[in-house]
Amino acid sequence: MASFTSATSVEEAVGAIGAGARPVAGGTDLVVGSRQGKKPLPDALVAIDRIEALRGISEQGGGLRLGALASHEEITAHATILSMYTALADASAIVGSHATRANGTIGGNVMNASPAMDTGGALLCFGATVTLRGAGGEREVPIADLWTGPGATVATPDELLVSVDLPEPAAGTGSAYVRLEYRRQMEIAVVGATAVVTVNEGSVTDARIAITALAPTIHRVAEAEQALTGTDGGDAAVAAAARAAAAGSAPIGDVRASADYRLAMAEVVARRAIAGALARARGETIPVPASDALYGA
Amino acid sequence: MKVEATLNVNGTDYPVEIDPHLSLLRAVRDEIGLTGSKEGCDDSECGACMMMLDGKPVNSCSYLALQAEGRQVTTVEGLAGNEELAPLQRAFLEFGGVQCGFCTPGMLVSASSLLSANPDPSEDQIRIALAGNLCRCTGYDNIVRAVRSAASAG
Amino acid sequence: MTDTDTASAPTAFLRPDGKEKVTGSGRYTADLTLTGQTYAKFRYADYAHARILSIDTTKAKALPGVVAVITQDDLPDVRFGGFVQDRTLFAKDVVRFEGEIVAGVAALTPEIAAQAAAMIEVEYEPLPVVSDFLAAMEPGATLVHPDLESYGKDENIVASGNTMAYHTIVKGDADAAMAGADVVVKGRYVSDSSQGVPIEPRAVLAQWQGDQVTIWSSTQVPYAARAGVAQTLEVPEANVRIVVPLLGGGFGAKCDLHFEAQVAALARAAKRPVKLVFSRREEFVAIAQRREGIVMEFETGVTRDGRLVSRRSKLVLDKGAYCGEGGFLGQMAAMHACGPYQIDNIFVESHLNYTNNQPSGSVRAPTAPQVCWGLEQHMDEVARAIDMDPVELRRRTLIEAGAEGPTRQIFEEVGIKQTLERAVEMIGYGRDLPDDEAIGVAVGWWPCMPAPSGAYVHVNGDGSGTIVTGAQENGSGAVMAMPMFVAEELGMRPEDFTLLYQDTAAANWDMGSCGSQTTFNSGRAILAAAADVREQLLDAAAQELEVDREDLELAEGAVRVKGSPERSVTIADLAGAGTIHGKGSGDVPEVPAGDTGGCVGRLGNETFLTPQLITQAAHVKVDRATGVVRVLKVAAAHDSGMILNRMGADGQVIGGIVMGVGLALSEGTMLDDQGHQRNPALLDYKLVTCADAPQIEVDWIQIPTSGAGPRGSKGVGEPPQVPTAAAIANAITKVLGTQVRQLPMTPERVWSATQAAE
Repeated sequence: MASFTSATSVEEAVGAIGAGARPVAGGTDLVVGSRQGKKPLPDALVAIDRIEALRGISEQGGGLRLGALASHEEITAHATILSMYTALADASAIVGSHATRANGTIGGNVMNASPAMDTGGALLCFGATVTLRGAGGEREVPIADLWTGPGATVATPDELLVSVDLPEPAAGTGSAYVRLEYRRQMEIAVVGATAVVTVNEGSVTDARIAITALAPTIHRVAEAEQALTGTDGGDAAVAAAARAAAAGSAPIGDVRASADYRLAMAEVVARRAIAGALARARGETIPVPASDALYGA
Repeated sequence: MKVEATLNVNGTDYPVEIDPHLSLLRAVRDEIGLTGSKEGCDDSECGACMMMLDGKPVNSCSYLALQAEGRQVTTVEGLAGNEELAPLQRAFLEFGGVQCGFCTPGMLVSASSLLSANPDPSEDQIRIALAGNLCRCTGYDNIVRAVRSAASAG
Repeated sequence: MTDTDTASAPTAFLRPDGKEKVTGSGRYTADLTLTGQTYAKFRYADYAHARILSIDTTKAKALPGVVAVITQDDLPDVRFGGFVQDRTLFAKDVVRFEGEIVAGVAALTPEIAAQAAAMIEVEYEPLPVVSDFLAAMEPGATLVHPDLESYGKDENIVASGNTMAYHTIVKGDADAAMAGADVVVKGRYVSDSSQGVPIEPRAVLAQWQGDQVTIWSSTQVPYAARAGVAQTLEVPEANVRIVVPLLGGGFGAKCDLHFEAQVAALARAAKRPVKLVFSRREEFVAIAQRREGIVMEFETGVTRDGRLVSRRSKLVLDKGAYCGEGGFLGQMAAMHACGPYQIDNIFVESHLNYTNNQPSGSVRAPTAPQVCWGLEQHMDEVARAIDMDPVELRRRTLIEAGAEGPTRQIFEEVGIKQTLERAVEMIGYGRDLPDDEAIGVAVGWWPCMPAPSGAYVHVNGDGSGTIVTGAQENGSGAVMAMPMFVAEELGMRPEDFTLLYQDTAAANWDMGSCGSQTTFNSGRAILAAAADVREQLLDAAAQELEVDREDLELAEGAVRVKGSPERSVTIADLAGAGTIHGKGSGDVPEVPAGDTGGCVGRLGNETFLTPQLITQAAHVKVDRATGVVRVLKVAAAHDSGMILNRMGADGQVIGGIVMGVGLALSEGTMLDDQGHQRNPALLDYKLVTCADAPQIEVDWIQIPTSGAGPRGSKGVGEPPQVPTAAAIANAITKVLGTQVRQLPMTPERVWSATQAAE
């Protein structure tokens, strides 16, 4: 029999989840999925959208803590994210529509574990850690270890994601997320790439490059990162890194694109994301979202 | 098992008894009887069902009605308040922003939400904010003109 | 930019259905609820082609809450369809596309109805699926309708095998002229099928009272729906009343008999009202109205100085499983393969082929946008072949007054050359652009559709008026503008009038909202009815004021003596208790005489009455690396005769162009080889959003011409759709240096064309 509770504290929510309820925040993935007949709504639901402790974006040490309920709209408007974690703003700014961004939360996004999640690459490249709370207490999981496949995570069924922590990027870091966009809005990622690079005295000292919707999970491509690290970040290095990023993909062909096209586009969006991240690291202005700003680049 | 709840829509409290899985759209249309909000798709793609929740836009077809308890729900029926027509509604008519009218309620709700957050939006900001509302008749131009006109008048 | 400035000015007369639409108080079909109402769900075919061995409804009928389950066995054995009667309401023996209805259920809730529909047990013998509409005409292909010969059909239908209709246009000697041409250019183009996608999914609500049924339906053609219900359920038309509440868009997708009869049959069986509301998926898959896929081959002979001496063309169209109202598509396509050009030697043939795909029907300017997209790319290629600017080639070859058309009709005033000059001026053709941007130009045409209509205008006792019309408002505002025209005729104010419309029990037969003919035909009838009222008012006032009729005028709600406005009598006084009634229909213009030259397939579109003529110019930007195209601006110059309602007409063009951008770049129905749609949802069948819509500038070439509709008007609503994709294609080719020969020109197809060229 269907039941519904609205939790007002993390403890209450964790209790309900432990008893078999499924958490719902903005509902943008869960309810849509059930209406499309992908997966029926779980019988027991616990709404977590009123839990104050899960709200907000706050400075933590040099880094940033995103409450599970931080919406894409809040992320896109946050000054620190725009300046220091720009790729995350690039991603949140193009999720769905204005309504999706107002209601969709980072917690829901992360736990949905879609390989096409726009924000995933940025969280991965910035080295995010998530905090999961279960009946047995809290644990921290690096986001790189969280996703195990499409829609699958290492979280146990009784665990609730409470926050996402982003460490402080090194000085001289710039970042960008670029997605292949058939339309400027209302898209789902068909091919995406994230780059977070650190430039010191004209040299790339650190590079993190991830690809989206090109494999069962979003993942970083070590070969691409190596191809860029230690270089001057010039066109040749960018091109080599982009080629390596594409080589790290395993695209499928479906109604949205053929595998060949996805593969070719992986290189194009990776090149744009890397070039965009380098430009931002050097202090150049590329407006958010980068996908729109770098159209045709 | 149906659940008793109170939904506040356009400033009025409505007691309802609904299934926990019922969407906000169906609760407002079928239980409360306000049919201005429309259903045009199954998956938050068309925006015809757009309502405001505490002032923010939400695809009500994909939002659980019970989650709206204790919040202010606004539909197209609530936009004019005590006036005959809100300035934005009048502008839609004067600038030819209405043809078949099926997208109009959702479009008006999205535009109202935008203007309350940003009273003087640029054309591109209007276009981005309305991109979640599909219109097949107007080609959007006259809708954008209407929103700009209402913004500059407001 | 003066015209755009005019267009942006707010209007003083607000459309009569406007207030209900912006406040949410208006009612669309899905918003209605009747006491005792139950809910319908259909059980659809499990295969695109299969023989039905048995249907067992026992379990479904036993489900608590189910009030009716019906199949074709419960209904009269009647086949329906326009030019060919090939379909039954529910599947009989064989299912021929995935959206075919096998059975219908009515139940107390939609959920119970859906559950019961799934419980119906159907045993099938799968048959080979004919999804490829070219392969459908190969010898030995599986026949979609093996009994086609025995079906009722129009005497002009030439059918054979899977070809439902074959047409030719023959003029002069195309072969000989081709042999003598300086240069011959050949091209092949393929268009996918696509969809109308009104934002309102279809809804039908039926209620019987005794032997009479009232059906509220989201249809564009209430009278065709009435006739279809009467025919298929074998009841008199007088017992069937179709009411259309507000209609949430149509674009052709809501033409034809569409589910009214199935829902009425369910309501009769259930003995209570039944309501059907489609999901978006059903709106994609189950309707019998999509824009057809077409394979086009063109061959044109040209002289080096830009004269078209010969055109050969072969068109193959995907009819889908059933005729519906789309039997004319092949002939219409053939006319568009000629285009508004002067060509003395022509051989065009078209094959409209049955397949196990969704049926094709009228979607906004049926066949024209696809064929125009192919032909206009071909014309640009012809221009390149003789090293001539494509606009210059069109200057030299477009029709003008006195020219003879492909089927030998002689054109009167046609403004196509003026539209060309105006469009290239508006877009700034020829100016320097960055190398990833270009401007493409395309021309097109569309006929006016003459049809009978009728209307009443009543003057009420207080001097207000009621316009009674069979016209159907699809949202365009064509019907909503009628009070303006009647008011002008009678010296009254538009707001003095209300409309009684969209109710077959109230008004005269009308063709409905299709073919851009509302103003042309319904408007003609309404103005004739208004003129009748005017005559009666003048007669009555002449008697009352004891003056000659010729000395009277109608103004400010009164009839008064010219030059002595104080001598007057109000219309309210003349109307008494409301005893002045006008009626009218007006004379239906005749379609021009012509001759297809061929001996087959004349279905009524072989000549174009007062064609509407269009040039659009598109300025696009192409991201070569990804193939993603953005349309920056479209300039549209149209000859639609005299424009009676500028804001409404501009709105049609802007909306049509944005729909055309979708057709060009993103809107295509993808099919697998078993005839199933792969993208029946709005995430993967992509409409243009507000954020991607181009800047649009509109101007009108207004030329009086005989044969036009009221006050010199022609149609307005369909032409904007015709050349948009073509103009965009020609711009893309200029950027890439190669053509994209498949529609829609998706990013992947644009990218692939670039790769192939390198």
